[in-house]
Amino acid sequence: MNSSDGNQDDNSRRSFLLSGGSWLTGAWIASQWPSIAAAAHHAEQMPLDTKPAALQFLSAANAADIEAVCAQIVPSGATPGAREAHAVHFIDKSLSTYFAGMAPDYLKGLAEFQAQFRSANQGVASFAATSPDAQEAFLKAHDRTPFFETTRMLTVLGMFSSPKYGGNYQGQGWKLLGFVDQHAFAPPFGYYDAEYKGFVPYAAEKHA
Amino acid sequence: MSGRKFKSNETVDFVVVGSGAAGGVIARELSRAGFSVLVFEQGPRLSATDFEHDELKYFFLNGITNDAKHGPQTFRKLPTETAHPVFGGFLPATYARIVGGSSTHYTANFWRFHEIDFNEKSVLGSIPGTGFADWPITYQDLEPYYTMVDWEVGVSGLAGASPFDPPRSKPYPMPPLPVKSSGVLLERGARKLGLHPFPAPMAIASQAYRGRGPCVHCGFCMGFGCEARAKSSSLYNMIPEAEATGRCEIRAQSYVFRVEVNAQGRTTGVHYFDADKKEHFQPARTVVLSANGAETARLLLNSTSNRFAQGLANSSGLVGKYLMFNQGSGAQGIFEHELNEYKSVQVTRILHDYYNSDPKRGFYGGGGIDARINPQPALWALASGGDLPRWGSEFKARLEAFPRAMASTGHTTSLPVEANSVSIDPTLKDAWGIPAIRVTYKDHPDDMATARFFQDRSYEILEAAGAQKIWRDAVEENVAGVHLLGTARMGNDPKTSVVDKFHRTHDVPNLFLCDGSSFVTSGRGQPTMTIQALAFRAADHIGQFAKRNEI
Repeated sequence: MNSSDGNQDDNSRRSFLLSGGSWLTGAWIASQWPSIAAAAHHAEQMPLDTKPAALQFLSAANAADIEAVCAQIVPSGATPGAREAHAVHFIDKSLSTYFAGMAPDYLKGLAEFQAQFRSANQGVASFAATSPDAQEAFLKAHDRTPFFETTRMLTVLGMFSSPKYGGNYQGQGWKLLGFVDQHAFAPPFGYYDAEYKGFVPYAAEKHA
Repeated sequence: MSGRKFKSNETVDFVVVGSGAAGGVIARELSRAGFSVLVFEQGPRLSATDFEHDELKYFFLNGITNDAKHGPQTFRKLPTETAHPVFGGFLPATYARIVGGSSTHYTANFWRFHEIDFNEKSVLGSIPGTGFADWPITYQDLEPYYTMVDWEVGVSGLAGASPFDPPRSKPYPMPPLPVKSSGVLLERGARKLGLHPFPAPMAIASQAYRGRGPCVHCGFCMGFGCEARAKSSSLYNMIPEAEATGRCEIRAQSYVFRVEVNAQGRTTGVHYFDADKKEHFQPARTVVLSANGAETARLLLNSTSNRFAQGLANSSGLVGKYLMFNQGSGAQGIFEHELNEYKSVQVTRILHDYYNSDPKRGFYGGGGIDARINPQPALWALASGGDLPRWGSEFKARLEAFPRAMASTGHTTSLPVEANSVSIDPTLKDAWGIPAIRVTYKDHPDDMATARFFQDRSYEILEAAGAQKIWRDAVEENVAGVHLLGTARMGNDPKTSVVDKFHRTHDVPNLFLCDGSSFVTSGRGQPTMTIQALAFRAADHIGQFAKRNEI
């Protein structure tokens, strides 16, 4: 691979999430995002039910491995994690609709991930079947791959997008964050503005 | 929709290409001045009830932004590289592709430029390897039109609050929006450091204004269309007001792909595709391009002819060049109590203490700092790079801290570098078969140094405000932008600029360009107010030229 190919890869991977200067300042460029084809725009056709759906696209074994990775990214505990928010159902649905263009690369990445896991863990049936501690240890050495970065993004989207897209089950993702989906709010919005005494003007100094 | 409907092939006084921040203003002003005006918009016409609180749709599925399916683009960092197509998500040159343009989805930070923005080169001197130059107009030339933006578009703010503010002839028409906790904390930290934070001027109604209701604090401004019509978008003010004259038609889903010229070198009108991809010619006495800094340049470069072999109005060779995106950087802080930054407008306090370039820093650049957050849940969770945790229990702890989090963000300069550009891709075509945009962009080293400098200042402010934990975002080179500036710069010399100080192209007497492309320098990261002030000024002069038969 010559340098310009490397660049293409880099640029198109980075392109999915872009930092547009000051609009989206901060770094949420997914640096290892796999090449994807144009996302189909099927959002409007998504069913509105929030029940955990049967898998439409992923095999049960693949879904189990992906869900185990999701659960490492946002673990369960006192507050909901990726598992409780049904992030894997969002992933299953999105890969067969509006993110269909990226599905082939993603499945290829998953197969590579599974092969790497098997060769490092002889005798263990699958990533999903091993202990959470062993999963975490394995991921620490494999958390910069396109597969992992993609799963991280899909997990986040599956937890925090509108429930109509198949994840964020019963708003559990938003509950974890403390985000309230409401169409109007009134001040005070938080603790610090509630105690604000008003803007104090500066003395009549004039700066260049 | 209300407004005039022109007969097909009816010659109009003005065709305006683009219905956004600039096109909306120009359409309203020229139709109010008595001219017939036909506005072309490639995207659809939506209304407030069409907009949704749907982060996935607007940020990940190109809900209202240009997309690779209709208008693919290629990107490269340097002219020596081959540019490659960008397939999904936001394109290198991103804009809202609907009536109202990017004024529909902007965050609505409405800072005026300062005096220094217009004559910075005279003050600081040349910068080797760049096209750093003075504007052909001054702040004083533009001030009356900034005031028109405040009042006609509708800006909320507190006049005189910043000791760094340029002079203004009139106060804001509306008081500032209610302060948020992020604003209070930025103010607390910054005042401790001896800085001068002040209420952010925002193009969002803080009270009922000219038939629009006040902000309901839903929090979905940046990247979204306003469901309450409180955001002062062209869609809600300039466009309907232009139509109300009875002399203006907005022709949506009509994609102009070529500007026509006759043997005398004057434009005669535009070629466009209607919603069914059927081709038409629209005759006009005068054409104004306000299609944004990427599409205006592309339209000129695609409008080649024997007379204009390297693109229309491009005798300087500068059409598409000197593209500026602005840079930016930030840090995120977690505080003891809840801020709930997902509520209300994105920004309520800013500061301009570091606005001017300071040679003592060792590099060119300046900017403003504001208090904000990436307010929608997934955007906030996806922030990565810098020292942000990416997964596992530490990542989850950051997610749980969402209500207690804020960001301090710098909005900074981009130098005009000739290689940074919008050009025509040699092979890629759009869905209509028209040659596509190629973006070439690499931030000048001073732009990166400025962004890092501003991150340090943001960090200090959060620290002084009492943050319990602070993360630095990564400072990255731009690979895309929503500020599309500088690609048809204004100037007095036809050899070094594309339009004159009245936005008339040097080469074609009845062709005007007015949008972000006219910028000579980048400002400090909030360009829309200046785009609209330029549009009010351009329309004023264009109308006078037309009345005096000087076009």
